[in-house]
Amino acid sequence: MTDANTEVRQLILDSAAKIFTDHCDKPLLDAAEQGQFPGGLWQLVADNGFDQLGTAGSGTSAGDMYAFIQLCGEHAVPLPIAETLIVNSWAPGQGIASFGELSGDVIKGVAWGREAARVVGLARDSLEVTVVETPEVVEQGVSLAGEPRDTVSAAGGATITLSADPYAQAALTRICLMAGGLQTVLDLGLQFAAERIQFGRAISKFQAIQHSLAVVAAEVAAAKRAAYSAVDALDDNRFVFEVAASKARVGEAVGIVAEQVHQIHGAMGFTHEHRLHHYSRRIWSWRDEWGNEFYWQSLLGQHLAQLGADQAWPFIATRG
Amino acid sequence: MLQFDRVNLDAQTEKLRAEVRAFLADNKAHLTQPNSDFVTGHDPAFSQKLGERGWIGMTWPKEYGGGERSFFERYVVTEEILAAGAPVSAHWIADRQSGPLLLRYGTHAQRQTYLPQIAGGQAFFSIGMSEPDTGSDLASVRTTAIREGDAYRVNGTKIWTTDAHRNHFIICLVRTEAAAENRHAGLSQIIIDLKNDGAQIRPIANMAGGEDFNEVVFEDVVIPADRVVGEPGNGWEQVTSELAYERSGPERFLSSFRVFVELIRACGDDPAPHQAAAIGRIAAHIMTMRRMSISVAGMLEQDKDVGVEAALVKELGNNFEKVLPEIARLAAPERGAVQAFRKTFEETLLLSPSFTLRGGTREILRGVIARGLGLR
Repeated sequence: MTDANTEVRQLILDSAAKIFTDHCDKPLLDAAEQGQFPGGLWQLVADNGFDQLGTAGSGTSAGDMYAFIQLCGEHAVPLPIAETLIVNSWAPGQGIASFGELSGDVIKGVAWGREAARVVGLARDSLEVTVVETPEVVEQGVSLAGEPRDTVSAAGGATITLSADPYAQAALTRICLMAGGLQTVLDLGLQFAAERIQFGRAISKFQAIQHSLAVVAAEVAAAKRAAYSAVDALDDNRFVFEVAASKARVGEAVGIVAEQVHQIHGAMGFTHEHRLHHYSRRIWSWRDEWGNEFYWQSLLGQHLAQLGADQAWPFIATRG
Repeated sequence: MLQFDRVNLDAQTEKLRAEVRAFLADNKAHLTQPNSDFVTGHDPAFSQKLGERGWIGMTWPKEYGGGERSFFERYVVTEEILAAGAPVSAHWIADRQSGPLLLRYGTHAQRQTYLPQIAGGQAFFSIGMSEPDTGSDLASVRTTAIREGDAYRVNGTKIWTTDAHRNHFIICLVRTEAAAENRHAGLSQIIIDLKNDGAQIRPIANMAGGEDFNEVVFEDVVIPADRVVGEPGNGWEQVTSELAYERSGPERFLSSFRVFVELIRACGDDPAPHQAAAIGRIAAHIMTMRRMSISVAGMLEQDKDVGVEAALVKELGNNFEKVLPEIARLAAPERGAVQAFRKTFEETLLLSPSFTLRGGTREILRGVIARGLGLR
């Protein structure tokens, strides 16, 4: 990436971070988790062109788009923005879009399907996807993080064929969201440990807490590096396997990080009033969406088994 | 500190990788017992061959027998020979930390004397840090070196000294002045010839059946004053910087790699779902840590301080080196062609307690990371 590109990306991320810091606050998250679509926040995102990142003519790259999705994870942005961006990269368009898993004549697990003007149904092991305009909502549902996950009708959908595995692309959005969410959970843990006084001193001064946060930091660092690997493989024939390694690794980090940082927060982090759960519940739910660790581990392991034991190292020892 | 930048290895580095693979294929006779644990195989002939290839002291100045190559090139050579399970113990410490230590702090004469021999795969070094009463609390060392004219008289005991009975030299952390209020003052590093200076060396059997580490006793051993590394009294700073070299390399996550290879072989080309998942899980971890380790090589290339990042890679890597055999044992088939798996698994499991001890215990590393996070 050239310096000019780096600057553009930083500009996008800085202005988006400002918007999210100012507007994506606890009351907004609470309302969204009660099913109220944050239309004002969506408008800000669209007005700034963040829903078109990575599309032709936007002057931005797919890498910028995934960096932005990671930032959305950091702020627990309760919008189908990752979904809209991916759908726009497959079939350019305007407005709210989303995707879900094609299952017979319905599309399941559609983020904010009730608000979407377009929904794409995709399936494992298929490059063909079904695009449905203004789909009928069959059933409303939510994830364990309170994020709407609806079932919509696939009737009247048009089939298009993509060049990169759609299921892996869907998984990559969750990888980036988790990488962002993990960073925030670590930050909350560091902040709480520095502020909470027990036995006459900040609990961050206790070795047990320091070691716990060191473990969390190592997991977060690994998760972020793993996320970059999958993004970097977008145009590569290893894309699906890099996503597999990445989602498996990041998903493993989630369990450890959420558990440790909740422990550090004590009872306060268990309350609805504290904001930690907006992030911990999201990363817990994202690790199960679009293939959990077992699914992706198996896919990667199957590939390595077919390559054979003595090809395992050449497979791992990549240039990038 | 949580930023591990992406690196793309260049064509020249990849060409070198191909050369290393060809070399390993030509030297299968040295891979008698493939084991990617870096302290297990001591094979001076193999080390000398690597030296002849220019694969020891790769980043050092040519003036001292080095290759003036990049940290990425060094990284690629080390990961290839470890992944193949080659015997690297003889030259490992000299290449990784004694040489860089002498390069940074040693006198011109010391560099001229030792570095070309190290780079040639002919001089092997051990680390003289731990003592019977000094483990993680390194500043508590009691071995003394008292100045007498042009020499130092050394008295004390070093322990857990890997390959002291096989190697040529040891660089010892010693007290050259009595302990004062500042515990880090008055420490020095001194080079002792293990073959000729009168050190008493007693191998200590480990629980894996090997005799790799030793107790090394110095009783009135007299060492010329010009063997002090750097300035007398500067030992603490030197030893701390030496430990940073020690922590980020591929040997910190590849020690049990051969168990993974044999697991894949034992499971065959149509593994059961739980076997495929175990293989994929291990691969996902190694792929990630490897990229983090290469990021640290990039930081070394830019002459950045890598203390915290190296500790972080070592923390992840050493823990996973112990988890890998645990995952593998439950996934490996119980019958069939599993002899090679069992042998490698058992050998690695028995070595595994050392993985989170050597080079700084897990507890010390977590402290280093916590300091990097601003917690202490």
